[in-house]
Amino acid sequence: MADFPALQTAVEIGDRDTAVRITQEGIDEGVPPEQILKWMTDAMEVVGGRFARMELFVPEMLIAARAMKGAVALLEPLLVAGGIQPDSTAVIGTIKGDLHDIGKNLVAMMWKGGNIRVVDLGVNVAPEKFVAAAIEHKADIIGISALLTTTMGGMKNVVELVRSTPEIQNVPVIVGGAPVTPEFAEQVGATGWAPDAASAVMKARELISAYQKGAAAAG
Amino acid sequence: MTEEIVARRLTGEWMTPRRRFLSAMFRGRVDKVPALTLSSVVTLEMMEAVDAWFPEAHLDAEKMARLAATSHDILGMDTIMPVFHSQLEAHAMGAPTEWAEKDNWPSTSSYTIDDPDQIVVPSDFLKKPTMVAATGAIRLLRERYPDVGIVGKVYGPWSVGYALVGIENFLIDTMLDPDKIKRYLDKILPACLMSAKAQFEAGADAVMWCDHTTGDLCRAETYRDFLLEMHQRISAEMGGPSIFHCCGKCTDRVDYFAEAGWDVFHFESQVDLLEARAVAGDRISLFGNLNNPTLLYQGTAEDVYKACWDLLDKGVDGLAPEGSVPLITKQDRLKAINQAATDWSNAHRPNGRTIERPPVDYPEPDPRNIGTFAAAR
Repeated sequence: MADFPALQTAVEIGDRDTAVRITQEGIDEGVPPEQILKWMTDAMEVVGGRFARMELFVPEMLIAARAMKGAVALLEPLLVAGGIQPDSTAVIGTIKGDLHDIGKNLVAMMWKGGNIRVVDLGVNVAPEKFVAAAIEHKADIIGISALLTTTMGGMKNVVELVRSTPEIQNVPVIVGGAPVTPEFAEQVGATGWAPDAASAVMKARELISAYQKGAAAAG
Repeated sequence: MTEEIVARRLTGEWMTPRRRFLSAMFRGRVDKVPALTLSSVVTLEMMEAVDAWFPEAHLDAEKMARLAATSHDILGMDTIMPVFHSQLEAHAMGAPTEWAEKDNWPSTSSYTIDDPDQIVVPSDFLKKPTMVAATGAIRLLRERYPDVGIVGKVYGPWSVGYALVGIENFLIDTMLDPDKIKRYLDKILPACLMSAKAQFEAGADAVMWCDHTTGDLCRAETYRDFLLEMHQRISAEMGGPSIFHCCGKCTDRVDYFAEAGWDVFHFESQVDLLEARAVAGDRISLFGNLNNPTLLYQGTAEDVYKACWDLLDKGVDGLAPEGSVPLITKQDRLKAINQAATDWSNAHRPNGRTIERPPVDYPEPDPRNIGTFAAAR
């Protein structure tokens, strides 16, 4: 019988081979894929919490994410076939001029684990591309990442373009990245900010919920 | 007959910017706390002012020198630093580079290395376009500005590793294959040392060495285990005064930086000056740490002036933006840095000759930030 606590531990310590093996065992035993996924999202919550408390650093997050990604690849076809769909959509990318994607990738991975569909636009994303993708995918949230203090000013351009585009003017925009502070987020008019990938899940859920309630009320 | 004394008493600003900068590097006497560019302070306004634009200014020594000199000619700073991008050594070692437009910085466009054995330092490394431009610009600046501090810049093997291998891949291997990381560092290091020595030979007064082992990316122990001993050798061998730059949250590794033998730590706003000083003591000078996004980019000139004054009161050895400033930063914010340094120094020169710093109450450092060496002291 698949040892799911060991699966959780494997993801937490970044042991990809073990995570993939136990996931396959679970699938072979007919365990519902969403149950297997839950062990891994729980693991990432643990990892995210330890990261937020600075007990872990980015390399440990990266190998945990790598382990989860390897195992989730086995589950994805089953989740799709079973009609298990996320209840919200996020568009995410690194700001124009910035080619760094670690933070963005970690947030995207945590959001996926948090049952949010993620449309990843990659790096060096122009404001127009954020807006076009948000309209096309009916985004419930837009996430912008920056690693460089030299490029983070571009976040303001995205926020302004979103607010001036009627179809998405109320969609929340969350910003983050090593140099991004809550004060800066407020200055550029972002709806929210999160200090790290783990907190970004909770913050995104909160913003999406408020947005969806507002959209529903507006009819 | 008594000989008439014609020499005047030294008062006010009597040091050249170059002497002032060099003295501040060693916490020596200064007539004014220097206002510095160690990272890029180039903006679109500066490019327009001297008609030298990105990306051409990255590879053309004359344009690079002309643009870099705006930090002194327009902003009044005590130093000039001509390397505006982070591809200097990486491009010379073959990293494919996207040079970007006038409103952006170059970066590696694709990562081509996944094994240390693929890394070869070209025999004509110093003749590669980025190196020729940087050393050429330093030569021109030395000739044109004999009294101004000229600062070179080197990206160390850790940062060049990011540019060649990719940050994510590099960091994963620190966990999964540490020996591979050590081999990367050993393979890249000779190029970085060559770059430093060439910049000194071209006329740089000091070289800033950047290895981005920031707390935003890795543990303090990662710096200690992979780089500390190597940096001790580098700071001894590089051939002149050294400044170490590392971005982001670094308070927990200031102890190691201080023990690496660097003369100066150029630090960002995530590091508290007082806590850094409490940990480092007199082992290293501290230059920084004006916040880019919320202060220099979004703040007013008055905000910048006040922040500078605060840092000066707390004993910063040299005022400088924390890193390369956004290209749309307004000139008046950057000019406020030297204005604050000048005004504060005028107000703290009781003998008229050198500044005297007010006493500062240093906090007890957070125990997590006291490394092995600070504890031993």
